[in-house]
Amino acid sequence: MSQPNRIAGGQIDDKHALSFRWNGRNLTGYAGDTLASALLANGIRLVGRSFKYHRPRGIFSSGSEEPNALVQLREGAAQEPNTRATMVELFDGLVATSQNHRGALEWDLLAINDLISPLLSAGFYYKTFMWPKAFWEKLYEPVIRSAAGLGRLSELADPDIYDHGFLHCDLLVIGAGPAGLTAARAAARAGCRVILADEDFRMGGRLNAETHAVADMPGAEWASATCAELASMPNVRMMPRTTIYGAFDHGIYGGIERKTDHLVDSAGKPRQVLWRIMSKRALLCAGATERSIAFANNDRPGVMLAGGVRSYVNRYGVAPGQQVAVFTNNSDGLRTAADLEAKGIAVSAVIDARKGDAVIDTSGRKGLRSLRLNDGRKISADCLAVSGGWSPNVNLTCHHRGRPVWNDGIMGFVPAGDLPPGLSVAGAANGTMTLASVIAEAHDAAKMIACDLGHARGAGKAPTSSDETYEASAIWHVGGSQARAWVDLQNDVTTKDIKQSMEEGFQAVEHVKRYTTLGMATDQGKTSNTLGIAIMAAASGNAIPDTGTTVYRPPYTPVSIGAFAGRSRGKDFRPFRLTPSHEWALANGADFVETGMWLRAQWFKRPGEAGWRDSVDREVAMTRASVGICDVTTLGKIDIQGRDAAEFLNRVYSNPFLKLPVGKVRYGLMLREDGIVYDDGTCARLAETHYVMTTTTANAGTVFRKLEFARQCLWPDLDVHLISTTDGWAQFAVAGPNSRALLSKVVDSMDLSNEAFPFMACSECRVFGGTPARLFRISFSGELAYEIAVPARYGHAMMGALMQVGEEFNAVPYGTEALGVMRIEKGHAAGNELNGQTTAHMLGLGGMVSRKKDSIGSKLSERPEMIRDDGLRLVGFRPVDRTQMLSAGAHFLEKGAPADMAHDQGWMTSVAYSPELGHSIGIGYLKRGGERFGETVRAYSPVRNQDIMVEICSPHHIDPEGERQRG
Amino acid sequence: MADIKLTAATLSAVGDIDIAGNRIIIRDDLSLVSVATPLGGEDALKKTLTAAFGLNIPAATLSSTAKGMRAVSMAPDAMLLIFAHATPDAEMHVRAKLGGAGYTTDQTDSMLAIEVSGPATMAAMERICPLDLQHGSFGKNASGRTVMEHMAATIIALGDAHFLLLTASSSAKSFLHALEKSYRNVIS
Repeated sequence: MSQPNRIAGGQIDDKHALSFRWNGRNLTGYAGDTLASALLANGIRLVGRSFKYHRPRGIFSSGSEEPNALVQLREGAAQEPNTRATMVELFDGLVATSQNHRGALEWDLLAINDLISPLLSAGFYYKTFMWPKAFWEKLYEPVIRSAAGLGRLSELADPDIYDHGFLHCDLLVIGAGPAGLTAARAAARAGCRVILADEDFRMGGRLNAETHAVADMPGAEWASATCAELASMPNVRMMPRTTIYGAFDHGIYGGIERKTDHLVDSAGKPRQVLWRIMSKRALLCAGATERSIAFANNDRPGVMLAGGVRSYVNRYGVAPGQQVAVFTNNSDGLRTAADLEAKGIAVSAVIDARKGDAVIDTSGRKGLRSLRLNDGRKISADCLAVSGGWSPNVNLTCHHRGRPVWNDGIMGFVPAGDLPPGLSVAGAANGTMTLASVIAEAHDAAKMIACDLGHARGAGKAPTSSDETYEASAIWHVGGSQARAWVDLQNDVTTKDIKQSMEEGFQAVEHVKRYTTLGMATDQGKTSNTLGIAIMAAASGNAIPDTGTTVYRPPYTPVSIGAFAGRSRGKDFRPFRLTPSHEWALANGADFVETGMWLRAQWFKRPGEAGWRDSVDREVAMTRASVGICDVTTLGKIDIQGRDAAEFLNRVYSNPFLKLPVGKVRYGLMLREDGIVYDDGTCARLAETHYVMTTTTANAGTVFRKLEFARQCLWPDLDVHLISTTDGWAQFAVAGPNSRALLSKVVDSMDLSNEAFPFMACSECRVFGGTPARLFRISFSGELAYEIAVPARYGHAMMGALMQVGEEFNAVPYGTEALGVMRIEKGHAAGNELNGQTTAHMLGLGGMVSRKKDSIGSKLSERPEMIRDDGLRLVGFRPVDRTQMLSAGAHFLEKGAPADMAHDQGWMTSVAYSPELGHSIGIGYLKRGGERFGETVRAYSPVRNQDIMVEICSPHHIDPEGERQRG
Repeated sequence: MADIKLTAATLSAVGDIDIAGNRIIIRDDLSLVSVATPLGGEDALKKTLTAAFGLNIPAATLSSTAKGMRAVSMAPDAMLLIFAHATPDAEMHVRAKLGGAGYTTDQTDSMLAIEVSGPATMAAMERICPLDLQHGSFGKNASGRTVMEHMAATIIALGDAHFLLLTASSSAKSFLHALEKSYRNVIS
């Protein structure tokens, strides 16, 4: 198929034709094309519809600033909306469609919006469609939402994968135009580790689009040669197709590398990689973006930025039109005419605003046909190359809240001194607008950075280049027509919208942005911000510097959500921690629950059990009747050693620890600095200078961190050392009246009688003929119970062995649900009770806060509010009607009291069905709870629509004297 | 006493992984013993460590080696000894040799050691390891503690593109999966 607008030259490979489809049409382009250049080569000017008014729109630019040519790329699940055609590297088999139209692109039904545009001006949704009131939610808003938006998601899971990564360098050079290439080469030659990143697939920046000469050769050739030199250097990493989208703390930059976007298929590899680039220094060489001039109907397909026109002509070998006119307010725009004529393209007019000439209107329904000038002339043209001057790409300089400053010389904002630490700027991004000065500045900046970093090798000399003048004038808006003049093409913002915003009181630049949507969406106003600010300034009578700019934030250009997520999908969403007996549990019917990163067995289903309650009730009943085994490996374990370990523990626990004998375990209560309960657990003294602390599963990490802080910062004079051994030991609770009998068959040569190994004893031992182990006589269930630990490598075998030995006792494995039931029956506090608001007094453990010593939180725990007698206390509850089930979270109210906070008496923290008692039980906090055993209150749960009477009782529902665990 | 012997289970059952000439090897033959320096006991530990194992106390971010044993700096007053040891008594062995000059804790079961090498190793590490592993920054015997894919890890340079990784044993399966994925994402 022919490409009617293809011309000779450029940096495309015309030996390598590529087939692609656009709106169902099969077309051909060449390797080196973008989708935009290939569409233009094929004579396609209308590529989309505008956001609000559905006006015909064409390709406006040739880079990432593109506001118009947003397309849906690929098909099916891989479909990606709002893709800039100017950034899509053409590949064989590419499929793209236009977006934001109802019906065919050429005959968009929603183009009616343009006819009712007076109803849809800036902020229309704040003040129109207000009557009748009920219609807003039921009619207006759904209709507006349906019509709004640009592309559409496929609503299918993204079939591509993404990844993250980390890179390090001495110098990150952002942008590989003349400044970036010069700087990268100088720094690399000096010995720096350099990363050179550019969003384009072909490095060289404007050198590829212009006809400048560098080092006595065409600029594009010099760029290629320099890239080749850099690629051959081991200290340089070249990263084309990589956008540096954000400047973050500590010299870290975010980069998005498009790995396979230019391929028809990713072949199972990550499509994009999000890099965290850690740089010692960075040099921003991001160039500048051309802007338009506001005049009536300046949005028609065929109206383009002049620099973009030169790109298509010089880089892509494409004529954007057959009759091209040029409208400029600066010297740079004039080069367009010269380049067009050099390629044999007819230039119908050059309109230089500095001479008083101006375009005041255009015509052409679906593409530009003619222009009307301020002197009354009408000029035929199918393409108008507009240059309103260049705006330095300062975005990254502002990511640490820096604000650019206005430069009258170039009529643009340039970086101020408040750059992110370590960032320098060179070239057009710094407001240096001519080639020779760009190259010189970049070379000097790189040399200085290399020197600062201690790289003293010669950086070589800066290349010579052609130079040009750059003069811009302050011509922003051309009046003379009643038609709308567009400022922000992407958001359909006109000069009238900006003036209306100002008139209605939204005058600050941030207010104008939000009222009109100027500078929002995928292009973030790259071509419109400066123009909009200038029009605001004119409307308000202020100078542009006084008008200011909005805040530039990351990302510089859109980054897909998939790239941010990286590989964190499905199995890779987060890591799991598995206990050593996980495989055993899996093979024995365990159902797992996530507790933090851990997977824990919550119950073990047996044949014939209809639901989880059947399993849990059986596990509780059999444990209390004989013996049960539970994997408690997940509890935090901290090895504490040192001559001062006892003193250390005495300071971190609220209860005394100095006199804990070797071979004994003590329950410990840990407070926060403010006196609130932080964590609880046990601590065993294995030797004179050796303890093992256990923590709750949830707080294992935070308790360790708190202890390290205390060790390193509060008491560095203590000889104490900590190391986590949570993963090192597989630990099993063996609970029930037959637990001693079972363990007697497990533990080597050890007297487990109550006299020899009483409640709260501990010892190192061996099991099954020599395997090292630790045995603790502690109980969470309230039964005669032990916890036995073996090195984790033996955990799987240990679980199987315990069950094998336990067969004669009908031993049962039990999970976290049965564990929870038994601890509620026993009245032990757990996470539900230790919710960050709990005092020791609330738990009934006020006596554990020793007043004979100082420990973390002990002083503040004595504040009157925390020890008041009429405060909340942990008590037990059972339903008056024993057939009723209690609800956790229910609030307690006096009978007849209104259900409001003023009458709130407390809340139920945990509930369970007790197989032993045969009814539902609970524990919770109740005002003056300890004095109210035998009373009844309402347990009111509005979320469950439940209001029942409960009886207050001891939290120790079973064995309140503790005879079982001491037996 | 039941006639049962406990057998160790490790991830070595997974087997060594070869991805296009890149090797991921589970080193369950290695024992790990943490040694903490008693307050004021630096000189004594230094002398004892050298006498017992020929090892120097490693400087921060480095490891020292002697006689098949490696000492890795883990904190200003803590190091990790890594050595091949067949029986589950590595800590007792070290404790006996140090004679009270350091506080010892067996970490063999707390961490899994994984050795990685091969032509895509540096590229794979870029996808998972936040540290700068280029030779000039992280030469042979360098060590660092970091986080990879949300999991704590220690990395030790054994040579060019050749590393020993230590990670928590409970999440070792996830770690191995992440490591393997890093390789698969970068090989062509």
